[in-house]
Amino acid sequence: MKTNRIHRTLFAAVLGLTLSAGASAYADRGEREHEDHGRYKAVENQTYKQECSACHYLYLPGLLPARSWEALIKGSDKHFGENLALDEKTSSEISGFLNANSAEKTNTEWSNKIMKSVGSATPERIMDVPWIIKEHRKVKNAFKRPSVGSASNCGACHTRGQEGDFEAVKVPK
Amino acid sequence: MRRGILAFVTLGTLLVSGGAWAVLNPDVQMLVDKYRLEADVKSFSAEDGKRFFATKRKHSKGEERSCSTCHTNDPRQKGKTVVGKVIEPMAQSVNKERFTDPKKVEKWFKRNCEWVLERECTPKEKGDFITFMTTM
Repeated sequence: MKTNRIHRTLFAAVLGLTLSAGASAYADRGEREHEDHGRYKAVENQTYKQECSACHYLYLPGLLPARSWEALIKGSDKHFGENLALDEKTSSEISGFLNANSAEKTNTEWSNKIMKSVGSATPERIMDVPWIIKEHRKVKNAFKRPSVGSASNCGACHTRGQEGDFEAVKVPK
Repeated sequence: MRRGILAFVTLGTLLVSGGAWAVLNPDVQMLVDKYRLEADVKSFSAEDGKRFFATKRKHSKGEERSCSTCHTNDPRQKGKTVVGKVIEPMAQSVNKERFTDPKKVEKWFKRNCEWVLERECTPKEKGDFITFMTTM
């Protein structure tokens, strides 16, 4: 009876240790991933969400330099052939949000790579950023698949992209 | 009893004549009234709206465009933008949020009339369009 109780206590102790070790290893890995790959914050600005993602993927502001976003807002009456009809209040709110969260403001490894590869250019498409083009060189052919549509549809493969995580990738058939 | 019958008959009449029986909130009703004054018409036509929605026009870029290019031929179905993003149905009967916010209505007319027609829509076109979308 007594041995039984000792066994049980030992078992509980070992189980407890294993669990806490596991949990801290998991936390460590999560933390390191965050630092290593520079995840982005999910978009919280409702105006940006409503105005921009009604027509296309909700691009994260950290994927382009501030001057690119500025150019896009300035040309919003000729946005890839469309007049976005943004009123002044709306466009200044969106502009403020994009500027505050642009690639140079979000100091992640990805943002730094984007900024470095862009040099002094002002790309108006995320797929015009040299580093991002390079990262996609092996999946170029997948862009034309009906399940993807075009290179502008990030979410087709980056299944957790809207949450700021572009590491999780699943290219659909 | 008599009143019950009367109510039933009234309801029946409304349903039968219900072709153009739209329930708009006061804000959107005001917008439609404004269009009606500008267009100088007594009422709008769901039929004209339907035709307007489906009419294909040659765009200066070469291709044919219509409202249905993105919204499909049936406004009760989901549509797709030119880059493939899903658009919720336009018909109010299946999407209660449609035509409830006049600012939103005006903004999308401005965006999409230019895309399809390369000009703004006329008050008559807008009124017919809303009537079609809220009565079908």
